[in-house]
Amino acid sequence: MKTRDNPLGSLEHVVLLAVMRLGSDAYGMTVRREIESATGREISIGAVYATLVRLESKGLVKSYTGEPTAERGGRAKRHFSLTADGKGALRTTHEVLRKMSAGLKGLQPT
Amino acid sequence: MTRHRALSVATWILSRLAPKNERDPLVGDLIEEYALRSNATSSSAALRWYMKQVVTSAPLLLRVRLVRAAWISTIGAALLAYIAVAVAELSVDWAISNWTAVGTFAYKPLGLIMLFPMVILIGYVAGRFRRRAPIVLGVMMLLVVTTMMLSTTESVPPWYGVAYFVMGPAAAFIGAALHSLRPARW
Repeated sequence: MKTRDNPLGSLEHVVLLAVMRLGSDAYGMTVRREIESATGREISIGAVYATLVRLESKGLVKSYTGEPTAERGGRAKRHFSLTADGKGALRTTHEVLRKMSAGLKGLQPT
Repeated sequence: MTRHRALSVATWILSRLAPKNERDPLVGDLIEEYALRSNATSSSAALRWYMKQVVTSAPLLLRVRLVRAAWISTIGAALLAYIAVAVAELSVDWAISNWTAVGTFAYKPLGLIMLFPMVILIGYVAGRFRRRAPIVLGVMMLLVVTTMMLSTTESVPPWYGVAYFVMGPAAAFIGAALHSLRPARW
C-alpha cells in the first residue's frame, strides 16, 4: 500500500490542509497560526515542524529554503508545499471520513 | 535573569535539540512571532509565549532527532535478536542432548528443524521493533555462518553445512516477510 493510499493521522491531516490553504505562504509559523485560528486549539511550533518533517519523509510535502531576513534574526524561512502524493493522501483520507460518516445523524454543522 | 538573557538561553536550548535542517527556520519563526507579539501585547506576555513554545517543542524535536538516527536502533534490535537466536540454539542443543536418546550425528538435523520456527519468530518480533532489523539479523547470520564454515576444524557432513548456511538466514528473512505482510496500521 502506497503512503498516499494510507489515511492520515489527525495532526498530519490538519497540517496538510493548512499547507494547502496557505499556498506559497506556508512555512512553520504560518501553518501554526492557521491551525490555531481554524481549530481554536493551541499547537506548538515543535509539533508543527515534527509533523512537517514526517510528511516530507513520506513524500507528501516538499520544501525549499527562502532568503534570510533581518526581522527573523538573519534566519531563512523554510517554505512547504503539497506534492501530488500529498494531495492523493488528502483525497484518500476525505473519502474514508465521508464513507465512515455517511448516514450518521447528528454530524451536520449546527 | 534579564529578558534578553532568558530569550538567548531558551533559543540556544531549542537550537541544540532541533534537527540540523530545521534549526534555523524554526528559531527564525519563533523570533518573528515573538516580535509580532511584543508589538501587539507586551514584552513579558511575548516572553511567556516564547518560553511555553520552547518547553512544549523541545521533547517533540528531540524525538525527531532520535527517529532520524533509526539505523542505530535497527542495529541494536538486530544484535538483541542475534543474542536471542544464540540463546535459542543453546537451549535446543541442551534439550536434545538431555531429553532425547539420539546420537551426536542425529541431533544436529533435529536441532535445525526445531530452531527454524524459533528464528522465524525472533525475526518477526525484531521486525515489530525496527522494520529492517530481521534483514540485518539475516545478514549477520550469513556472515557468522560463513566465517564458522571457513574456519571450523570439526568434520560435519556437507548437507549439514549447506542446511545451516541456508536455514538460519532464511528463517530471519521469512520473519521479516511475515512482519511486512501484517495489515496496515493507522
